[in-house]
Amino acid sequence: MSPVLLAEAVLFTLVVAALLAERPASLAATGLAGAATAAALGFLPGLRAALTRAFAAHRVPALIGGAVGALLLPFFLRGSPYWTFVATMALMYVTIGQGLNLQIGTAGVVNLAGAAFAGLGGYTVGLLTTAAGWPSWLALLVGPWAALALGALLFVPILKTRGHYLALVTIAFVFIFNTLMNNLEFTGGPQGIKNIPTLRILGHAFTTPPAIFGVRLPAHANFYFLALLMAGLATWIARRLHDSWLGLALNTLRDDEIAARCCGISVTRGKLVAFSVGNFLIGLGGSFYAVMVGFVSPPDFDFGYSLVMLSVIIIGGVDSVAGVVLGACLLVPLPERFRFLHEYRLLLYGVVIVLTLLYRPQGLWPVAVRRYR
Amino acid sequence: MPPIELLLQQAMNGLMLGVMYALVAVGFTLFFGVLDVIHFSHGDIFMLGAFAGLTALAGLGAIGIGAPAVALALAFAGSILVVGLLGVVAERVCVKPLARSSPLMTLLATLSLGLVIREAVLIFYPRGADPKPFPQLLPAGGFEAGGVAIRYENLAILAIAIVAMVSVDLLINRTRMGAAIRAVAQDPEAAQMMGVNLNGTVDLTFFIGSGLAAIAGILSGLYYSEIHFIMGVSGGVIGFSAAAIGGLGNVYGAILGGLLFGMVQTLSAALIPRGSEFRDVVAFAVVMLFLVVRPSGILGEKSAERV
Repeated sequence: MSPVLLAEAVLFTLVVAALLAERPASLAATGLAGAATAAALGFLPGLRAALTRAFAAHRVPALIGGAVGALLLPFFLRGSPYWTFVATMALMYVTIGQGLNLQIGTAGVVNLAGAAFAGLGGYTVGLLTTAAGWPSWLALLVGPWAALALGALLFVPILKTRGHYLALVTIAFVFIFNTLMNNLEFTGGPQGIKNIPTLRILGHAFTTPPAIFGVRLPAHANFYFLALLMAGLATWIARRLHDSWLGLALNTLRDDEIAARCCGISVTRGKLVAFSVGNFLIGLGGSFYAVMVGFVSPPDFDFGYSLVMLSVIIIGGVDSVAGVVLGACLLVPLPERFRFLHEYRLLLYGVVIVLTLLYRPQGLWPVAVRRYR
Repeated sequence: MPPIELLLQQAMNGLMLGVMYALVAVGFTLFFGVLDVIHFSHGDIFMLGAFAGLTALAGLGAIGIGAPAVALALAFAGSILVVGLLGVVAERVCVKPLARSSPLMTLLATLSLGLVIREAVLIFYPRGADPKPFPQLLPAGGFEAGGVAIRYENLAILAIAIVAMVSVDLLINRTRMGAAIRAVAQDPEAAQMMGVNLNGTVDLTFFIGSGLAAIAGILSGLYYSEIHFIMGVSGGVIGFSAAAIGGLGNVYGAILGGLLFGMVQTLSAALIPRGSEFRDVVAFAVVMLFLVVRPSGILGEKSAERV
């Protein structure tokens, strides 16, 4: 059990150091330490195997350790509201990524409209709170259902087309969504919806900095803990679905529809269920974004964000639930970490993704074969 | 119902847009033919074509070649050559190595490559973030026929586009190189056994497709008299849509799809209230409907895969 906790402590230290390093020297040291760790895992198969065994043998302590680390992170980041915010965004992308991974990775339903479904959630929250006067927490709970319901618009294309053609249909959907949001009056046009009230749960407004155990955290820590809960639930649901008979059925129909039909799997139902559950999680991420940032506008949900969501699940490892977590936690903070490169960072982001695809096409944390006991 | 002159005028505008879309769409369809991939950075290759043309024109102006016809011809040649070669580089680096893995990989890789191209223009082109005015080199003026204003420059754009399409058609259907491209599209392995140089043919296809996109880029600059580094995003999606509604792999289908997309855009702008704002909604809705009702496109073949 101790190797598990040691490994998690090392990882935690690396994450905190990577986020907080400011001076070039400390940044370089962190980078070297990270590279050394990765190299040790890459070049010492014995170490890797030992760690894998240890984690497999002590799953519960490992999970508890991970949860404690995630809960402690804002305390270490308390000097920097900015990095707390970035960590929250990463957790939001974990939620979205789990939804998208269920669609693309598990069921093979290519969905490049992730940005639009997140936008549907976000805009629903915006309209319900500002125009209808609903409390934010209720809107946050309803937003994902709107994404799920409007996803029904794509039910027919999803069943009729696949592969490149389905990719095109969903791209067209993002463009339609964006044009509508930009030009309709009740969504605020290009300005979007401003002044979405913040969350207020049991009298605690999420804009007031919380004090936990006498430690004062930045206001964004409120959202961090909520996002952690959300991402944890989404990952748990995704894990359970992936390991269930449904996940197996979805994998089958992804790999060969005809064979799946012959085995008595309903391709129609499988695809629609995966698509709807996925849209729910994506819409949840978008609704959370609206509540956290306090306003939504068309550029927040343009096609570029679909690309980010897609890269999260592919770089993490297609169909891999753990890979989504890794992908989101790497890819979302990465461009922020390299903000000192100014305008070059998006260019490098693209280069990094292309290189990863060329040299590690299976993703950073590829999906393991299911083991049934 | 708007007056018939307005509709005819919009149809004329749709034709102008349509030929430019068609040139981009032909590239998509050719690439799909030889490698069975969608090269998503093709839209940004189209944008590069416009910027290469602008750079060439500026350079020619600087060394004193100012005669519009000569300058334009040289700009076209230079842009086709440079952008065609860049298209081959993109294929070698990013498309071909991933062509055998899942379509998802090429999708993400080429989308990311498009991001890289866009950002590179934004950063490295002088004042790349601003829209660039494109010099007006085509003859001004025009005439009226049946209530439709026809400008000489529109006719010139149309003529250039038609020449480009006809030459590609001849190249593909009448030459040995074209026969090789068709053979690879049909069956790469059988083509190789017949002595077709597979890599060379794929390179050639990407050169031709990217060259056509370069022509479309310059034409778009001449038509709108301004170019912007972001133009490749919508250009690429529209080109892909056109190729898909025409039937992927079919060159005539791509041309037809491009014209159709342009027509739908401009006519919906005329027919629907506030249509100019919502024309893309209509156009993309038509694309979605098309793919649902006729998933293999207008001229696409019925294939056994779609059980």
